[in-house]
Amino acid sequence: MTRIDKHPILEIPENRITVRFFFNDKEMTGYENEPVSSALIANGVQEFSIHKRGDTPQGLFCANGQCSHCTVIIDGFPLKSCITPLKADMKIRTLRHLPDLPADDQPLNHSHPKALSCDALIVGGGPSGLMAAIELAKLGFSVVLADDKAKLGGKLLLQTHKFFGSIDDCYAGTRGIDIAVKLENEVRKYSNIQIFTNTSVVGIFKDRKAGLFVDNRQYVIVGFQGLVVSPGAREKMLVFPGNSLPGVFGAGAFQTLVNRDLIRSSRRVFIVGSGNVGLIAAYHALQAGIDVTGICDILPKVSGYRVHADKIRRMGVPIYLDHTVVSAEGNGKVERVTIAEVNSAFQPIRETAKTFEVDTLLIAVGLTPVDDFYEMAKQFGFIVVSAGDANEIAEASSAMFGGKIAGLQMAALLGKETRIDPALTEKAEILKSKPGKIYTPKPVILDGKFRPIIRCDEEIPCNPCTSICPVHAIRLKKNLDSLLDIPEYTGGCTGCGMCVLICPGLAITLAKKRDDKCAEVVLPHEYLPDFKVGDRIPVTDQTGYYLEDAEVVNIRFNKKFKTHLITVLTTLQNGAAVAGIRVQKPAVTQPMPTASFTDSADDGIVCHCEMVTQKELVKYIRENRVRDVNQLKQARVGMGACGGKNCSVVLSRIFTAAGVDWKEVTPGRKRPLSVEVPMSVIINEKDGE
Amino acid sequence: MKKFDVVIIGAGSIGVPLSFYLANRGLKVAILEKLPSTGRGQNRAAIGGIRATFSDPAKIKICLQTIEIMKNMKVEHGLDVDWIQGGYLYPAYDEKTEIAFKQLLDFQKQYKLNNRWITPDEIDKLVPGINRENLRGGNFSEEDGSASPLKTTAAFSLLSHRRGTELFFDEEVRSMKIEKRKIVSVETSRDVYSADIFINASGADAKTIGALARADIPIYTDCHEAGVTEAVERFFEPMVVDIRPDGNSSNYYFYQNAEGQVVFCITPEPKIIGADIDNTSTFLPLVVKRMVQLYPRLRHLRVRRTWRGLYPMTPDGFPIVGFTKEVDNFFLTVGMCGQGYMIGPGLGKIVSEILVDKTNRHDEILTQLTLYRKFTGNEMLK
Repeated sequence: MTRIDKHPILEIPENRITVRFFFNDKEMTGYENEPVSSALIANGVQEFSIHKRGDTPQGLFCANGQCSHCTVIIDGFPLKSCITPLKADMKIRTLRHLPDLPADDQPLNHSHPKALSCDALIVGGGPSGLMAAIELAKLGFSVVLADDKAKLGGKLLLQTHKFFGSIDDCYAGTRGIDIAVKLENEVRKYSNIQIFTNTSVVGIFKDRKAGLFVDNRQYVIVGFQGLVVSPGAREKMLVFPGNSLPGVFGAGAFQTLVNRDLIRSSRRVFIVGSGNVGLIAAYHALQAGIDVTGICDILPKVSGYRVHADKIRRMGVPIYLDHTVVSAEGNGKVERVTIAEVNSAFQPIRETAKTFEVDTLLIAVGLTPVDDFYEMAKQFGFIVVSAGDANEIAEASSAMFGGKIAGLQMAALLGKETRIDPALTEKAEILKSKPGKIYTPKPVILDGKFRPIIRCDEEIPCNPCTSICPVHAIRLKKNLDSLLDIPEYTGGCTGCGMCVLICPGLAITLAKKRDDKCAEVVLPHEYLPDFKVGDRIPVTDQTGYYLEDAEVVNIRFNKKFKTHLITVLTTLQNGAAVAGIRVQKPAVTQPMPTASFTDSADDGIVCHCEMVTQKELVKYIRENRVRDVNQLKQARVGMGACGGKNCSVVLSRIFTAAGVDWKEVTPGRKRPLSVEVPMSVIINEKDGE
Repeated sequence: MKKFDVVIIGAGSIGVPLSFYLANRGLKVAILEKLPSTGRGQNRAAIGGIRATFSDPAKIKICLQTIEIMKNMKVEHGLDVDWIQGGYLYPAYDEKTEIAFKQLLDFQKQYKLNNRWITPDEIDKLVPGINRENLRGGNFSEEDGSASPLKTTAAFSLLSHRRGTELFFDEEVRSMKIEKRKIVSVETSRDVYSADIFINASGADAKTIGALARADIPIYTDCHEAGVTEAVERFFEPMVVDIRPDGNSSNYYFYQNAEGQVVFCITPEPKIIGADIDNTSTFLPLVVKRMVQLYPRLRHLRVRRTWRGLYPMTPDGFPIVGFTKEVDNFFLTVGMCGQGYMIGPGLGKIVSEILVDKTNRHDEILTQLTLYRKFTGNEMLK
């Protein structure tokens, strides 16, 4: 029921083993070795624990092993369910307040330290870390690559969409999940790369060593000459009433549930944030059969690529600009979300509030680099480079380039004579570019031959349409003379549809005049068609405006691109305008007849580990004249399991709310461990058994 | 120039409570602190143990005073500093230690400490599941306890501020103006401060600050690491101190705080002299192995965080308290040897009585802790 059993892009594995387990004595089933959290959510469980402060229910939050909200009692032990694999007959219970420590009084009879050393330790096996590993291995360095997930590839593993960029440089037009496989295969060719998966680097120490928490059972101390920091980014959070309710996730957690674990975690979501992450989350939700009620952004303009936003709007998702989230409410879980328009000071105008009935609120308000180890290593005087999002938040395409450059830089720092091709650096910079100028497209008059209509009017670093066209009928305009230039059709189309298939923005259609009344339009469709030839389906213009119900005349599926090409017959006048198929019914996106919200504006949770509210914290800052983030530890902020990972990204706003200039505030000091490690693991007590 | 009755250098474990007791007696007090907020020197690194169980009269008296203060903090000032009177337990696993602890009991009784010898069964009630192999019993002091160093310093800071103390942060004392055997003023990176009395409470910096007033203070720092686990339901009561040395360390100790977290610390052997406060990879495997050996149940507890702090050490392991002879108005509260947090409140109250009442009630303490002693003694319960 809440499992995804069909998906337009992802394959549903067939060989999974179903096991029985118990949650609060109730029998449930799940798949062996899937995260316990996913098994619980698939069985409809949202409340994982009850926090001791205010008996607050907590659910899955990061799905990333970083916080501890998903802790449940498994066979007597408090464990993070998102990183604990499900086994048959597990007895799982809700964690209520603090757990009891199991009375295991067996004397210690085995322990031994595990250590190894390498030239370069790479923290994080996403696109940048993998590329850095390949470069260093090629040059003969011994590399230890540590990644906290079961599979290499980082966030690529969650990306079912085709990538921007260029085909030659960074697999543009290929889906993230497929790029991950290519990179992993490459990395595994090198015997001088030692790979640790399911491994968190939990500390960088002054004696030029790192502590690795391996597979929940080993602690390995790794000595290194140089450090490549490529752990990616952390999602920014928002503070609003109800922000700790089960059902409020980061977009990353949502993608993990839906695209990695194939859980239909929600019935209906609302998304805050119109950057590429929020837009893509909407696309992922729709592919998984989850309704998307809307996306809001506090800014007056979409933050992500315009082609992404247009695509999402065409699918039938409204984007509310100049709007912010006011509250999430519900009995123990999200049931309603209220948004409102903001004034020029970005404060919500309560009269404009709209309430939506949803069970999930996704937060996608941006990313912040995970640069803690980089900063620490710098301070210790180590040889260190950072790459990927840890260096600068950008698309995975640029992360691959950045990783390659970081690998070469590290090689140079370790004494190898290397030359970094300036063209490489230049491309990396271009791939990082924010969306640029928007151009007004020229009107298209259809004739009797197919031609592409390219709705890609904003400068973004992307050109696979120009590379794939077998007759070179599409090229980039020469305005900037770079990858950012916008593509144009120059004539000679054969109607093969390759450009329609490869475009990551789904921004290209083919169209021709069929007769005096009708046009024939070929549209890309990355969903399982719920229609057949002869049906009439709603089609929209570029930005999602409904045009007409068009008759389906052909449905083709391209295996390589896992994309359908749908040919429809439209009225001739709409032929050039038809840009996509609306996949979601308008009724889904309607707000409740009247807005309904109660909480005051300042009692959102800032510290989720210790449940400290904004109201409490602002009072504490004022009363104690706090000018140093470290002082907040007195109020428990930063003292929880996550070590300030979640609250650190919102503290600037809290200090501002308390009337303190953030520039005058001393930052908090980060200390190991970044993830909690059991004592038995630190001494490798169970190792070798 | 800013004028005060007393200027305290250092807003840490010692300076902050002292400022409160002085301000409470009507003095106009300033604290000058080089770091951005209170307790950011070594107070932040203290694990929170508070005991009067020592082997010398001065520290026993001071810390009995601290325990009184901490006990009454909530009732008297409405501030919760997480005080728990869980006691200190020194288990003995060999005959030599047992004899030494029992001899110490006689001494402790003289100073009205309620330490007593307890049996392995009694120990097992306090620390259920402790390793009983070769356990002979232990020295237990039930009136000792623990509290949160962060909350304690925040509480005294708030109380002191309410009584008019002014705190100046990010201001390092650079020089002192001395005229006719008196410090007239001190100059920081921002301003000049004059006062009748200047107090050196600058912890790890005490030697440098002392030199500004011609005092030669024999303090060096050594580095200690500590850690804290996740929180679980309370499962043992006292601070457990294992004084047995092994190859790489001497004693280590741990307790469960009010949040339910186990806080722990170890003394490396040989000592790591210096001022490095960055974490090392060796600390956790070393301390965790010893803790799990002593108390196997800890194995399932997850370590959350580690940190490193400094012990401002004197040659004999005892603090230095009192006026210097080189000038007339420079008072030292330094060299706390890693016990500043538990000494701070008691010492603050005592020093306020010395300075305000000019009492000779505390002369015994001043004699024992003078800068001008021979530094040949040795603290057994470090």
